[in-house]
Amino acid sequence: MPDGLTQPSAFRRGGWLLLALPLWVVLYAVNHAVSEWLAFRLLGLAPKSHLGEAVAFLFYDTPKVLLLLTLVVFIVTFIQTFVNPGRVRDALSKRRPGLGNALASLFGIVTPFCSCSAVPLFIGFLRAGVPLGVTFSFLVAAPMINEVALGMLFAMFGWKIAAIYAGTGLAIAFTAGLIIGQLKMERYLEGWVQDALKGPAMGELEEATPTLPARIDLAVQGVQEIVGKVWPYILAGIAVGAFIHGYVPESFMASLLGKNHWYSVPLAVLIGVPLYSNAAGVMPIVEALLGKGAALGSTLAFMMAVIGLSLPETIILSKVMRPRLIATFVSVVSIGILLVGYLFNAIL
Amino acid sequence: MLIEVFGPGCLKCQTMEKHAKEAAAQSGGAHEVVKVSDYAAMVARGVLSTPALAIEGQLKFQGRVASTDEILALIKV
Repeated sequence: MPDGLTQPSAFRRGGWLLLALPLWVVLYAVNHAVSEWLAFRLLGLAPKSHLGEAVAFLFYDTPKVLLLLTLVVFIVTFIQTFVNPGRVRDALSKRRPGLGNALASLFGIVTPFCSCSAVPLFIGFLRAGVPLGVTFSFLVAAPMINEVALGMLFAMFGWKIAAIYAGTGLAIAFTAGLIIGQLKMERYLEGWVQDALKGPAMGELEEATPTLPARIDLAVQGVQEIVGKVWPYILAGIAVGAFIHGYVPESFMASLLGKNHWYSVPLAVLIGVPLYSNAAGVMPIVEALLGKGAALGSTLAFMMAVIGLSLPETIILSKVMRPRLIATFVSVVSIGILLVGYLFNAIL
Repeated sequence: MLIEVFGPGCLKCQTMEKHAKEAAAQSGGAHEVVKVSDYAAMVARGVLSTPALAIEGQLKFQGRVASTDEILALIKV
């Protein structure tokens, strides 16, 4: 086993981690003061002015979001080393609709998932006897209840908003899978997929279980990989957030995405779907929207549309599903997001 | 040894293939690196998450990019 090789590097990394944690706490604690000093003293911008507020938001939010993201990704990746897609698949195989959909939605939150593995995962589930509707619950929950988004919402807005996000996302994934299962749409899978499902099951490959140092290594790698990949999206999100924060008047936001207009939720979804960002990039926009008086339901709908309904994933899935099934999938999820938006605009 | 890299061709999968080739070259032994990008073939082998890597038919990594050193450690005799 590779222990001889991974052990020293993991111990070295362990030392770094002990240094990194206090450093993280200090940076996070002084961030607000430093950002105000930079914007109002060093650059001499006037507080309460449009430009001053926008620039202060930029200086405050960039380190804050990056610091939070680093911590959240580390924890999430570490937890994910315990979740193996093969075991999830076995747990879901031959499940009845209902319980199966509920379990699939829950597993969807924690299973590591990237849209490029959507196809093998989808077929692998179906082959192992996971019903189509249950597979869809998983496929809806996995991107929509993004584990990094959940951690970021918790860190930035508290547990209530994080719980509302997870709860409504689970409800959408559960119901969407249940409906698609009832519609019996198996014949709308592409021909080669139906053939692959009929073929004899081949011997499965076995996978080694990682050791604890290896898990820590994986978590550090996850941070390097994800933070290294998403920072341009975060900067773009913060720029949009800073603009909203500094220049968009509250009355305008309230009239556009406020709770008293029937069109605010569909509008939020329409803006959100073509915006391809990732969970971390959309957080600063959510922060600025809520700060400017956008209703929670509209904001939630916007966020779910950005994260949960992405064009690239739909294109990848079109390799395995015929247009009718894709269309059903997108419409069921969109309707779910709209309902969530209206519900929270109505009760909060 | 037979080293198989499974992936549809995304950036991560290309990195994994590169690492596998580097490891094969560094180990000095006789190794064959094969890229499997056909979905049906992946599914038949039980790959659920890409990129994945198998050595002599045994799945070693799935859903992440393994480093050259990690692969090297597994193919060293």
